Amino acid sequence: MAQREFDITIGPGGEVKLHIHGFKGKSCLEVVRFFEKMVGKVKSQENTSEFYEPEETVRFHIDQRQ
Amino acid sequence: MGAVCILTPVVIAAWPAFSAVVAAAATSLGYSVVAEGIERVNEEVRGKTASTEQRIQLEIANSQLVTNQLGRDQRISVARNGVTVTFSCDARGHAEVCVTGTGQTEEALRAFGEELSQRVVQRYVYQRVMDELRAHQFTVVEEEVEADQSIRLKVRRWEN
Repeated sequence: MAQREFDITIGPGGEVKLHIHGFKGKSCLEVVRFFEKMVGKVKSQENTSEFYEPEETVRFHIDQRQ
Repeated sequence: MGAVCILTPVVIAAWPAFSAVVAAAATSLGYSVVAEGIERVNEEVRGKTASTEQRIQLEIANSQLVTNQLGRDQRISVARNGVTVTFSCDARGHAEVCVTGTGQTEEALRAFGEELSQRVVQRYVYQRVMDELRAHQFTVVEEEVEADQSIRLKVRRWEN
């Protein structure tokens, strides 16, 4: 089993800092898109070494906002 | 490790959900809800028009409120120590914030309005993140409020 982990910091003004662990390659981008749909636009992104490892498939579906 | 990114929040909410977030955020900062709905807020405002109160207007950036036709002019007002903050939806659907108070400078009113607006956005984002994480079977293993009021969450899920 693989462990997926995020560290999320919601700042006093609602800005979100997201640290993604355990997602490799494009699966990491899927997570970023998931949070983008949930929270808002990505202001900055820094990919870490794991991002460049062979990819795996991860799918998220997010409901339409009310 | 994956990636580290910063996201700018966008508030997209139906009026009832937004209004509930305002009430919760305001309560957490010591405000009380003094009026909700069109008529009651108008009465509240009429009762104060003769005074020498200061008034400033703000807007919550990146906000889009959804109201039905009947609810177009809906508002919620909260008050603390003589300062009243009214949240409403403008013609473009953006969240508008009006801060009034007697004996307060414009700067002070602006600071009160911004503090509460920021808390509203933070609370909205927290609620949305928690709802979606639960829906995707993530478990919040740690939750802490930092000294600067940031909320830090550690979230985990095991997969085959």
